[in-house]
Amino acid sequence: MTRITDQTAYRRRRFIAGALGLCTLGGFGALRYGRHWPRPEATADKAPVPAVAEADAVVLHNADNRLTSKHAATHYNNAYEFGWNKADPYRESGAFQMTPWAVSFDGLCAKPGTFDIDELMGMPFSHLEERVYDFRCVEAWSMVIPYNGRPLSDIIRAVEPLASARYVAFTSVLRPEEMPGQASAFSTLDWPYVEALTIKEAMHPLTFATFGVYGDRELPQNGMPFRITVPWKYGFKSPKFIVRITFTEERPMATWNVENPGEYGWFSNVYPDISHPRWSQATERRIWDDGEIERIPSRPYNGYAEQVAQLYPGAQQQYR
Amino acid sequence: MIRLAAHLLLATPAVVLALAWQGRALGVDPQKSLIWETGIWTFNLLLLVLLLPRVARWTHWPVLLRYRRAVGLWVFSYASAHFLFFLSFLLGWDFPRLAEEIVKRPYVLLGFAAWLTLFALALTSTRGAMRRLGRHWKRLHSAVYLALALVTVHYLLMIRSDWAWPVSYASLALLMLVLRLRSGNRVRS
Repeated sequence: MTRITDQTAYRRRRFIAGALGLCTLGGFGALRYGRHWPRPEATADKAPVPAVAEADAVVLHNADNRLTSKHAATHYNNAYEFGWNKADPYRESGAFQMTPWAVSFDGLCAKPGTFDIDELMGMPFSHLEERVYDFRCVEAWSMVIPYNGRPLSDIIRAVEPLASARYVAFTSVLRPEEMPGQASAFSTLDWPYVEALTIKEAMHPLTFATFGVYGDRELPQNGMPFRITVPWKYGFKSPKFIVRITFTEERPMATWNVENPGEYGWFSNVYPDISHPRWSQATERRIWDDGEIERIPSRPYNGYAEQVAQLYPGAQQQYR
Repeated sequence: MIRLAAHLLLATPAVVLALAWQGRALGVDPQKSLIWETGIWTFNLLLLVLLLPRVARWTHWPVLLRYRRAVGLWVFSYASAHFLFFLSFLLGWDFPRLAEEIVKRPYVLLGFAAWLTLFALALTSTRGAMRRLGRHWKRLHSAVYLALALVTVHYLLMIRSDWAWPVSYASLALLMLVLRLRSGNRVRS
């Protein structure tokens, strides 16, 4: 660097430095906050009261039978297919084609085949059962959500799994052209997303084939048109946008478990005593509405221990 | 006058964040936004405070150096807000749990260590402390690079799947460290 730079040169450098500074600030702002602008208008829909029949297998744990508001439950989602940000699933899912939708069944079953979503529902959408489940994310937040669907066991029975089938793998759709998160170069996940359950877990009456939430099917951010809901496990064990169901004898791989086995167990049942390596699972932040968040203790099997604990004999550690 | 403008500029992210919080514009989970945004602005200003002397030298604009302390104190302010939000929203002011988290979770340990470092630097940022510490002051305040290393790893440990932001910041931090090591044996600013 020369020491005989004259005053004009320094002025130019100051100008360059200032311009670079402004560009950096602008670039940072655009990259980080650009998509938030203009903001979607805040809706003030209050948490609805569940319209559920007593006979339904509804398990409401909170004293005042309260649901999370639909706005919160549909604007704060993890669906890395659309992006890692919680707002990406509703913001980036505009191009996602939900119809037609077919699901193929293969592997160890007597009646493999491909079925249209209407066949899977087996009845008009409005006739499906509504179940209110506590949804617990591995990130230690939770919501109370009414799901529309039917027990997954109804569907599985129809394709007659063989006695040798011990596991069920669920494969999500692969459409990078409609799902920006799948197209992203910055994601380390292997697409398509695959999750799996044991056949006993899949056949458990609480495991719910889900076609809508809050009576609404048009919600790709919540995993529609077809997902399953396994309420006693962390949320990522409830795969979304399912297009293929495979019966196997060997334990199938599961996306997050492959990504980081130390942090995401294959079973991933909710055990408050077993921490995620990076955070505690002892409590959760219950999201009731936009900005209305309550810290509550977490419960073994997310509160469904009575129904499912018998599936897991022996030490909890093997079912983490 | 310029000093006031500088402080206002540095306070802007905090003011915008506070207004957005009040205006319910931080989305479904404002707690999380508050934690993440105060964290990222701590990192931004930390990079700025390290860049300032380099820009001052390159442009022969020593006036800039006068604002180093102001930026440094804002780094500490954003870091403190970040820590307080973490304590309040994620731990519910449960101090035994804080101790447990610090012991068990490397990212909490690193973040806490970085905050302690920045706290020490903020406490000794006064003219009086400079006088008392004499030649030790400069050595103590090069610990800002320690803070930089700590927050870099702290942020990298947050990666779940998407690595673009943390890795970008780590690259910038690495660049600052390399520049510092290269100029370390030349004239010190």
